[in-house]
Amino acid sequence: MRLLNMVRKCYREQKRDLWVLGLSLMFAPLFVFIYYLMTGGTGSTSYAVLVINADRPAARADGTRLAAGEEIVQALRDLSYKSGNPLLRVSLADDQAAAERQVRDRYAAVLLVIPKEFSETLAAYQGGDTRATTQVTLVGDLTNPAYTIAAVMVMSAADAYINAETQAPRPVTLNEIALGASSLRSEFENYIPGLLVMAVVLMVFQAAMTPARDIESGTLRRIRLTPVSSLEYLGGLSIWMTLVAVLSILITFATAAGLGFRSQGPLGAAILIDIIAALSVIAIGLIVACLSKTVSQAFVIANFPLGFLMFLTGAAFPLPRPTLFNLFGHAVSYADFLPPTHAVIALNKIFTLGAGIKDVAFEIAALVLLTLVYFGVAVWLFQRTQMQR
Amino acid sequence: MIPEFPLQVRNLTKSFGALLAVDRLTLDIARGEVFGFLGPNGAGKTTSINMMVGLLDPTDGDVLIEGRSIRAGRKQAQRFIGVCPQENILWEKLTCLEQLEFVGVNYGLPARQASARGAELLDALGLSSKAQELAGRLSGGMKRRLNLALALVHDPQIMFLDEPETGLDPQSRVLVREMIRQLARRKTVVLTTHNMDEAERLADRVAIIDHGRLLVTGTPEALKRGQGDGTLLEIEIDAPQEQDAQRIFSAVLGCLQPLFPGALLANSRLTLRGPDLSNRLPEILQRVQSVGARVGSVHMRPVTLEDVFLALTGRGLRE
Repeated sequence: MRLLNMVRKCYREQKRDLWVLGLSLMFAPLFVFIYYLMTGGTGSTSYAVLVINADRPAARADGTRLAAGEEIVQALRDLSYKSGNPLLRVSLADDQAAAERQVRDRYAAVLLVIPKEFSETLAAYQGGDTRATTQVTLVGDLTNPAYTIAAVMVMSAADAYINAETQAPRPVTLNEIALGASSLRSEFENYIPGLLVMAVVLMVFQAAMTPARDIESGTLRRIRLTPVSSLEYLGGLSIWMTLVAVLSILITFATAAGLGFRSQGPLGAAILIDIIAALSVIAIGLIVACLSKTVSQAFVIANFPLGFLMFLTGAAFPLPRPTLFNLFGHAVSYADFLPPTHAVIALNKIFTLGAGIKDVAFEIAALVLLTLVYFGVAVWLFQRTQMQR
Repeated sequence: MIPEFPLQVRNLTKSFGALLAVDRLTLDIARGEVFGFLGPNGAGKTTSINMMVGLLDPTDGDVLIEGRSIRAGRKQAQRFIGVCPQENILWEKLTCLEQLEFVGVNYGLPARQASARGAELLDALGLSSKAQELAGRLSGGMKRRLNLALALVHDPQIMFLDEPETGLDPQSRVLVREMIRQLARRKTVVLTTHNMDEAERLADRVAIIDHGRLLVTGTPEALKRGQGDGTLLEIEIDAPQEQDAQRIFSAVLGCLQPLFPGALLANSRLTLRGPDLSNRLPEILQRVQSVGARVGSVHMRPVTLEDVFLALTGRGLRE
């Protein structure tokens, strides 16, 4: 009864702060939308490539015309994701200094320079002169992450074209096997597991600041005068915040789906995992509240776990996870003590590899266990620090 | 069997490290009694009250609520206790009725009953038209009354009221005072206040504590009678030369303290308590003048509770 009374109190207070509720609900979908825009509004990034095509077409031995430079440019333009979206945005340039400036300013990821004797060299090779050589140049800022991807694509396309033209023998061929449906996933879809977890990680602020408001205003003292326990108080608050999180998660999923996201595995399992992850983050936020006397203090302290939860769990980007010990055949690292780590892994498995709920049983179990532990710590600490008599 | 004293305090002690905040406080507060709990700032009042209402665990001793130790069952005990703190503790984003219902349910009332009880209290405190108003939008006096209503929503047997008249306009003060009197017919009221008039007007008995120790308990009348015959003599005195003032004031106290051990001299005002003051006035004036002091006005008035308080706790300013 008291638990529900707390939930109702939170609801009543929240409905008078609709803009705060709105921001809480819209934050994650907004992030999803921003990432969608970052991937070019197509779900996959098209990398800008500049080409200086100095090549002069040449005649083959059989008299036909070879314009290899133009054909490579076309081959680059034809590169596409499985969805049909282009991999590269190819623009032609004349002035190398101006083109390099664009690469330096990151308006383009890479500059490809095709020499004037390119067609002539290939034609000579086709004619049997295997000593004929020339040089294709790539110019780029090696610290730009987009350069690495774009350069590999350009080199692969150029290599494939040259190989097809020259028919030169290759002792080794590379065979790529895509796990699950990973080859079908767009870049935008790859971001979604991390984004969904990041969305719930941000709940740490609300979870820390909600009890801190009662502490700062003195209303917690009024609650302490009644027979309400720490468990009832924090439980009620957690139920309300979880309901908000569930709503936010559903809106986020709907936004992602509306922008082209498709899950390979059961969506219900993914939603369940995200909800448990939200609960675990709320528990961590409540621990922050135990150490706070004011809302602003809670906000400042909450930034600390936020950093861990975002950057050490793989939600923002993958990090190396050194093994501390093995448990039931699973390598356990420091990141495994942070609940969102398991959520990121499980969501990746479901969304990309089409895993079912049984395939992520370990992650779910770890998530539930850690949530219970963190919530238990929060209740114990709250009793000691805020309800102490 | 219903205990005679719903609130019993037994050797209640609280230490914070080396600081002894409350020292073996023992009180029996009767049913239907308004009990004034008085003391200067830092005397240990708040610490004592916090232990009595279950907010703070004592270092030693116990509090019995309706005969049961609060240590053994705090939750049970808190159902018998209502607390109206000095500062308004309200949820700004809840309406008046919503917060009464919220607190009522926390005390174990069914939601509907808590709501009905809340409406009743709002009516009694002149706030029924504000039932659906957010607490944050109420005036200071209305917040104060709502603060009182929150302490009453679960119909407790023992009420702790901390400075209940602070921040109230005269109309609200009369209303609250009347409410306290009505409460006292059915309940035990512990009143903490700095306002001696308030205590004298409302309290059946008072206790004065200082430095964590109980100094006296009794009815206001009995305490006043303890100060001489219930009258007090105030004499404005002066020195002919300003530079002699300190020497002359010391001499005045020196010649009167053998007769009146509680004699006080502050801001040129000499205050004396003792029996038969009117008959001894000529002798007093003669002694004052004999050390070179000039006598200004002479005023005789009944002893007030404030005089008792100052006599027991001194005039030194507290933190």
